[in-house]
Amino acid sequence: MAAPDTSTADLPDEEIERVPGEGDMWFFVLFESLVFTAYFCVYLYFRTQDERAFLEAQSALNLPLGIVDTIVLLTSSWAIARCVQEARAGRYPAARRLALATIGLGAAFFALKLVEWVNLIRGGHTFTSSDFMQHFFFLTGMHAIHLLIGFVALGILVHQLSDPQRRSQETIETCSTYWHTVDLYWVLIFAVLYIVR
Amino acid sequence: MSIVSNLRANLRTDPKRELWFTWYSTVAFYSLYSVVFFVITRTQPPGKPWLDPEQTVEWFADRHGGLLFGFGLIFVLGGWSATAIALIAYSIRRMSVSRAFAYSYLVLYLIAAVPGFLLICIAMTAGALRPDRNPEMQRWLYDLGFLSFSGTMGVFLVGSLIWMAAILLDKNRVFPRWFGYLNLCNALTEVVIAPSWIFQRGVLAWDGVIAWWIDVAVFGMYTGVFIYLLRDVIIRDDLGTGPLPERPPGRPRRLHPLAKVLR
Repeated sequence: MAAPDTSTADLPDEEIERVPGEGDMWFFVLFESLVFTAYFCVYLYFRTQDERAFLEAQSALNLPLGIVDTIVLLTSSWAIARCVQEARAGRYPAARRLALATIGLGAAFFALKLVEWVNLIRGGHTFTSSDFMQHFFFLTGMHAIHLLIGFVALGILVHQLSDPQRRSQETIETCSTYWHTVDLYWVLIFAVLYIVR
Repeated sequence: MSIVSNLRANLRTDPKRELWFTWYSTVAFYSLYSVVFFVITRTQPPGKPWLDPEQTVEWFADRHGGLLFGFGLIFVLGGWSATAIALIAYSIRRMSVSRAFAYSYLVLYLIAAVPGFLLICIAMTAGALRPDRNPEMQRWLYDLGFLSFSGTMGVFLVGSLIWMAAILLDKNRVFPRWFGYLNLCNALTEVVIAPSWIFQRGVLAWDGVIAWWIDVAVFGMYTGVFIYLLRDVIIRDDLGTGPLPERPPGRPRRLHPLAKVLR
């Protein structure tokens, strides 16, 4: 008996499964994830070398603030996912509102991060005060840089949604993919720096 | 037909001979650069930032001949790096974007070559030249060399961002878009080196696991990829304007002039 034909040649374009956005952006996601994985491995290795000192320095972190950070950023990811859905359905004004909400939530996350850094520095926990803080400021700082680049991506997204001549579903999904990646890195950073004891 | 006459004929007729010359120069330059820094002078991986003056004197004594010979080679041949930068600038000029991108890239890298490339050679050669100098002075040269080389890598950050922006805006499809994103990855690892100005020990010091080892791994991959892609650009280039043609499917790859000669 002949095997059923599983090719997608006869399917209409919208029924063919594909990765959202540009395939090239997924290359960035994978490569940058490998780099972050390397940073996490380095952190975890050095943590095993002096677990007590790391735990002591870690106790200075504000866990409730970290949880709020995570909720804010996860909500921004939900908003951008809804934005993509609305854009797919052709409801561009709603998609634009959700994109602006994502920017607002991202800005709130960044403001919370600044508050946390300032509080730590005021408490004597600086970039050079301990090995843990070195990793903490480095990882959260790198994440903040990714977040700031994310604002550029979201700016492009809002610009595209505002102008009917420029709308490209692929670009909208690509910007969204980048933002989800920023969110993913934060969840991992939160787990590794705040939760692992 | 002899190899020499074949080569002469190819050199006369191949319209891309200058491009191939710069590409082979790029490969030769990066090979020389790696051999000099990693093998001859052993200045990479970098020395420990926390060495005391006496240990610094020993460090110089251990590499005396290699430093003088290796960096002597760089002083003679370091200008070769211009061909690599020129080829990248050419590839940006071939894009649909403003020429300002290519000029910015060119100027940035030519200026950045002084702190990021030449200063270490001068400082280390000065240290090796008079091993009986005051140890404190030797340590000053040691710090100057490594801070100028490792600590200034961040100046290349903007170069990667310029190249990335040009690729993502380009409509001539000179480079694949994923390479634009790889430029962003490289730029982000350049940021990591900035803390080496603060730390003498640990993962972010100039010889640290994050600031040097992970960074060099990313930069090594990035360099290999862009050299390969520049070769691809030359193969596809029609020396005209507008979108760069794709390689026709199923067609065997065009041979390089050197391969044609040796065939």
